[in-house]
Amino acid sequence: MSVGTTLRLTGALLRKDVRVAARSRETALLVLLFAVLCVLIFAFGFLREGAVAAEVVPGVLWVTLQFASTVALLRLFAAEEEAGALELALRSVAGPAPLFFSKALMQLLFSGMVTALVLPMVLVFFDATRIPLGATLAALALGLVGQALVGTLVSGLMVRVQMRDVLLPLVLYPILTPSLIAGVKVTAISIAGGSTEVIGTWLSLMVVFDAVFVLASPWLYARASTP
Amino acid sequence: MSGEPLLRATGIAAAMDRRYVLLDLDVSLHPGEIVAIAGPNGAGKTTLLRVLEGVRRPERGEVRLGGVPMHEASAASLARRVGVIGHHTGLYLDLSAVENLRLFATLAGRDLDAAAALAILADVGLARADACRPVRHYSRGMAQRAALARLLATGADIWLLDEPSTGLDREGCALLHRLLRDAADAGRALCVVSHDPALLEVADRVLHLVAGRLQAEEAA
Repeated sequence: MSVGTTLRLTGALLRKDVRVAARSRETALLVLLFAVLCVLIFAFGFLREGAVAAEVVPGVLWVTLQFASTVALLRLFAAEEEAGALELALRSVAGPAPLFFSKALMQLLFSGMVTALVLPMVLVFFDATRIPLGATLAALALGLVGQALVGTLVSGLMVRVQMRDVLLPLVLYPILTPSLIAGVKVTAISIAGGSTEVIGTWLSLMVVFDAVFVLASPWLYARASTP
Repeated sequence: MSGEPLLRATGIAAAMDRRYVLLDLDVSLHPGEIVAIAGPNGAGKTTLLRVLEGVRRPERGEVRLGGVPMHEASAASLARRVGVIGHHTGLYLDLSAVENLRLFATLAGRDLDAAAALAILADVGLARADACRPVRHYSRGMAQRAALARLLATGADIWLLDEPSTGLDREGCALLHRLLRDAADAGRALCVVSHDPALLEVADRVLHLVAGRLQAEEAA
């Protein structure tokens, strides 16, 4: 099946997901509320003598984004489960690929939305508004793409697994660890005013991570979804 | 029934929890034919339908779609040719029936505009106002009608239906019988799992399953 068909069907399924998310709103509200709570808890947790330290920003930012994105991942296939439509959506003229890519893009949309909310909150609450953001934004973009690809794969494979809510993070986080460490390092080095060469190395690692999973994830998903 | 079957399953055996739930079954679906599968609860009817659908690979035996082994059939061929109504209607609850029909037609490689979707939904007795409401607000019977419309929208030539009369009122059942007969007369091959005696009467052949084995076959 042609790339054009896959893209067209991915677009149709993504429009469906956006429409469903806009009408039910439950996942977006749940994820955003969770992210806000996380930042607030961290802000109070790291309060020392009436001030918070900017050096905790990398950890707080990345952990909040990972946790909030995981909440979205747990709901990623909810519409298919509720409708009993998973097998119908998998069986498109282009196979399971459009479903995988539409879900990964939807996850990216959710985590992008969370980032747009969480990043300014973290910078303000942790008194870090003057830090350079260029490298951090690049790392966030790469990290969220990697998380969407691996997360969609793991979430998709666990649709019918019991105790999925517990198992998903247990399987997901070890796989994401290289990308997560690299993201935290980029933010930390960037705040500390470290060398751009080192930042470049960590960003390259994230690019490689994403490149591996942009190829491996849809392939593995298609293999596992075909009887 | 003469001619090449659209779907043929031979020597099917399927196991669950180390116990065979289907054993040595042969089923063929010819164009223009309605085959009903009847039997008590736990006889293996739904499992057989899932094997025919290609979502469950049998432990033994083979299913062929137009002469090609099911597991070798292309995604395009499966999506275009096999239409299914299972225990769920398969409709997205936060989309309207029109939106559902257009989406599933797209996934099956067909273009369906809103007017054509509305016409199909009118054929199954769903008025325009209902067709444009989210499926979440439908009764079970209305959702079942919309699921039948989904089959029509995808243009599949093999229909596999599990208890399609679920939730339908008397008028809805009459509509279902007419739709099935029209679909068969149009050259489609249909396999229907049902306990409904009226629905079994619409079938050309009835296969009685007991404990995963074919106990009897009746021609109408």
